[in-house]
Amino acid sequence: MYRARTVLALAVVAGLSTGALAATQVIHQQGRAFSEESVTVTKGGAITFLNDDTIPHNIMSTSKGNEFNLGSQPPGASTDVTFKETGDVAVICAIHPRMKMTVKVVD
Amino acid sequence: MMPRSLTARSLSLGTALALIVGFSSAGLGAALVGETKQVTLQQKGPSGTDALKALYRRPATIPFPKDNAYTPEKAALGKKLYFDTRLSVSMAQSCASCHSPSFGWGDGLAVGVGNGMNKLGRHSPTIVNAAWGEIFMWDGRLATLEDQALGPIQAAGEMNMPLDHLMQRLSGIPDYKPLFEAAFPREGMTPKTLAKAIATYERTVVSERAPFDAWIDGDEKAISEEAKRGFALFNGKAQCMTCHEGWNFTNDGFQDIGLPSKDVGRGEFAPGVIKMQHAFKTPGLREITRRAPFMHDGSLATLEQVIDHYDSGGVDRPSRSDLMRPLGLTAQEKSDLVAFLKTLTSNLTPTAAPVLPR
Repeated sequence: MYRARTVLALAVVAGLSTGALAATQVIHQQGRAFSEESVTVTKGGAITFLNDDTIPHNIMSTSKGNEFNLGSQPPGASTDVTFKETGDVAVICAIHPRMKMTVKVVD
Repeated sequence: MMPRSLTARSLSLGTALALIVGFSSAGLGAALVGETKQVTLQQKGPSGTDALKALYRRPATIPFPKDNAYTPEKAALGKKLYFDTRLSVSMAQSCASCHSPSFGWGDGLAVGVGNGMNKLGRHSPTIVNAAWGEIFMWDGRLATLEDQALGPIQAAGEMNMPLDHLMQRLSGIPDYKPLFEAAFPREGMTPKTLAKAIATYERTVVSERAPFDAWIDGDEKAISEEAKRGFALFNGKAQCMTCHEGWNFTNDGFQDIGLPSKDVGRGEFAPGVIKMQHAFKTPGLREITRRAPFMHDGSLATLEQVIDHYDSGGVDRPSRSDLMRPLGLTAQEKSDLVAFLKTLTSNLTPTAAPVLPR
């Protein structure tokens, strides 16, 4: 099965407090798998979660300071998540326990 | 918020993402979730029977974890422990009481029966192909098969056996000591080695080759034309494979399939996640005809009733899986699906009950 790699380069002019330029990585979900096991993002930076699979996914994290829950998202849903606290964020699909990855949020 | 411009280039999607204007929600002490956009995907699932069949090929070997590699000594010890009723406080129940080779490694009951012959809340799941499991129990509350092995032993409603009491009792059975020494040199008899032995044995319980496997390998006469149509429906109109995927027919996912049970299942461990309420782990379908009654609550007696449930879409509630919807299956299509499911049962070799240490 073709595994999409992250090939989406986003030039971001952030409306956040830093106003810094940053690259946003896209995490794909084809074949009930995240396209990356681990990604690093600068504090205040965003990751795009794109459901390019054929079924719904429920991407979320309960890691302290970076909690989020995208709910059940149909194929085609694309959502940015901005991480505010440094540390390792365990990201899962609540529906599919084999889907797990880490977002490393650094200063 | 300032708009963010973006340039999208995707080999697989060929999609252009709309401009993100800002964040739709924000909360203190949490990540910020932006507005969700819907992008057009170029879906390319497997098409054609041969491509589909390739997804169902049996694996050649059983996976064992690095921290509990297979040895014949562990498996032999584990088998004795698995069948030993002295692992329960009453000395009347073993692992095999509820996960019996006589019933497809379940118990043939709607719900399990525990200590004091009290009924449990859920159907005893099969242990067939547990080696491939990602997470354990109907509600996923245990992470490994080793953890799982110790769960029902200690559970008050099940075997009700505190581990210190159990190890004391096993220490009084002289023949167990050399078996533990052989399986776990220098580790001896501990709850940890007991769990490792039982888990190792459980991983050796694998569904044998069924008519379906012969068909996958190219024998066109191995299954009926009705069953072949059922396979096409399973992967097509009925969409069973969105959850029951791969050779063991599960992705270990959690779904509320709309059974009218009050049990919140996975929701107990994910209280804020709507789709986890009433969600239970998708069971594999191997040896399915030996495992009636069906579902987490044992509420459906026959495969025909199971198909009727999916055809109806079940109880429509916020937690219900987005994959559940009325299917509009004809009587012939339902019959074809059942015919297909019946091809997943093998001619299981009888399991010899072990002679136990005294």
